[in-house]
Amino acid sequence: MFHNEISKLVALCVLSITTCMYAGNLSLSPQQITKRLHLIPASKAIIQWERVFKSKQKLKKYKINTLNKEQKVQLKEYLLNHAIDSDQPTVAGV
Amino acid sequence: MKKILLTLCVVTLSLSANTKNDNTVLLKSLMKEVKTLKQEVVSLKKSKTQYNQSIDDIYENIDRVEAEGFQNKINFGLGFKTNLDNFTKTYADGHKVFNNNIWSNKLMLNMKANITDNMNFYGRLSMYKYWGSSYIHPYTYYDNMQGRVPSDSSLYVERAYINWFLFKDSLLPIAFTIGRQPSSDGPSNQFKDNTKRKGTYSALLYDGAADGIVFTANISKLIKLPKSYLRFGYAKGFGYSQTIPNVSNAFIGASNNDIKDTNIAGFFLDTTVPNVQNSFIQVSYSKMLDIVANPLDKNSSQNKNIGDVDLYGAMVQFTNINNTHLDLFAQYGYSHAKPNKNSYIDNGVNYGGLLGDTSDTTTKDGHSFWLGSRYGFGKKQKYKFGLEYNQGSKNWINLTQGSFDIYNKLATRGNAIETYMMYVINRYANLRIGYVNIDYKYTRSGWFVGKSRKISNSMDNAQNIVDNLKSVYLKMSVHF
Repeated sequence: MFHNEISKLVALCVLSITTCMYAGNLSLSPQQITKRLHLIPASKAIIQWERVFKSKQKLKKYKINTLNKEQKVQLKEYLLNHAIDSDQPTVAGV
Repeated sequence: MKKILLTLCVVTLSLSANTKNDNTVLLKSLMKEVKTLKQEVVSLKKSKTQYNQSIDDIYENIDRVEAEGFQNKINFGLGFKTNLDNFTKTYADGHKVFNNNIWSNKLMLNMKANITDNMNFYGRLSMYKYWGSSYIHPYTYYDNMQGRVPSDSSLYVERAYINWFLFKDSLLPIAFTIGRQPSSDGPSNQFKDNTKRKGTYSALLYDGAADGIVFTANISKLIKLPKSYLRFGYAKGFGYSQTIPNVSNAFIGASNNDIKDTNIAGFFLDTTVPNVQNSFIQVSYSKMLDIVANPLDKNSSQNKNIGDVDLYGAMVQFTNINNTHLDLFAQYGYSHAKPNKNSYIDNGVNYGGLLGDTSDTTTKDGHSFWLGSRYGFGKKQKYKFGLEYNQGSKNWINLTQGSFDIYNKLATRGNAIETYMMYVINRYANLRIGYVNIDYKYTRSGWFVGKSRKISNSMDNAQNIVDNLKSVYLKMSVHF
């Protein structure tokens, strides 16, 4: 009986940790995803990043296919906004 | 026993004969495989040579493309605006004047050059003109309004500056920005333009071109807040020029005993709200010394330095709050003017001193605030609705004479409301329809010279004082 309770508790802990990790992964910012996948936004122009998101092979190559739909949308927006030819702030000394 | 031994001998001999036959077959097969492998090696060697040649060709092509890239030392970007304005001006005596169907174009050729890892260059050449008009607007001769007010089709250098970065990887990276500064179209004008931040300073305080030098310390690592910068800037507000016989056209500097240059110096702190993404805070103090009454008037017997102005500012801005596509900003400005005894007299008419009458040396304090919001909606936020409100007091004075809107809304001594609806055509272009209503409470909004008076229908010269301005506009902007 006692062992049964312990096993339930362990299972619950494992489930909680997994859920937290999954939730953590979901809440990754596009910037964090970029770092994790070793992507450099300024390495490509807007049109080149758009091509990446249209090609299954390239998505696989850059491991973007491992992301969920929402993450992909956010990542695409981030990469396009930081592409080498994207609109950038114009501020003294920055 | 003998029988058994004999049988074993017979079996062994027969097995041995079979093994010999098998070995011969195996050898033949191996020889065949070796031959095939040899052929494959030859073929692979051939392919490798071909691949090497291809890679060499690719490298050559990359070198050629890269060389061409390096040859293009300056990258150009395009900014283009077409505006249709319709004004209704109501004067203090009640009569109205309509200025409808006013079209204008503004072209901005934006330049950027990455000189080295520690140095870059930015520039902007601008043309801003009314359709069908090549009239050179007199304000174009004001240095901070060149390329900022509609004039003829000339290209003006609105920006040209070098950023020089030092100690980039240290705890305290610094930079010097030298030249014609990014001091126009600052925050929070970028919401209306649907661009990224295009200027350094709060648009409630400064909007226009300025020559100067700015020291920037990136204190982000030091205070552990992203996008935190401390700036000290020095600029010339007005450089007095005087024609001297035999010395060509002009010289700049403290040119004579009567008129000194207007010098501006200030501190600016940029930072963000802790743990709030896309937030921005700016706090500033700057001082304008020796304001020149009329920068266009070279007659030093009537043109004077009329005093000093201190300008304080604070602003906070949030972009796309919590991914709701809502942007908000609030800005506050405070001006403290210290007139000297001088006044500006032109052709016998005395226009007064700094924000006052002749010989009025009492200090004048003014303040203004500017609130605004923008909300994006529809598929991919193709539509954006914006609302802005600003209010300025009787003696509010700032340096926004070079603002893009021709009525210099943020210098208003009174209150102004603006609302607009934007349609985002694509990543680079948008169409905006808007309405502005400016209710002037006091005269001489945006002017340093002369006393500000309350506007009423019984005042002197009421037929020439604008009491209310309404504008309905349609604008198309492209930033590429």
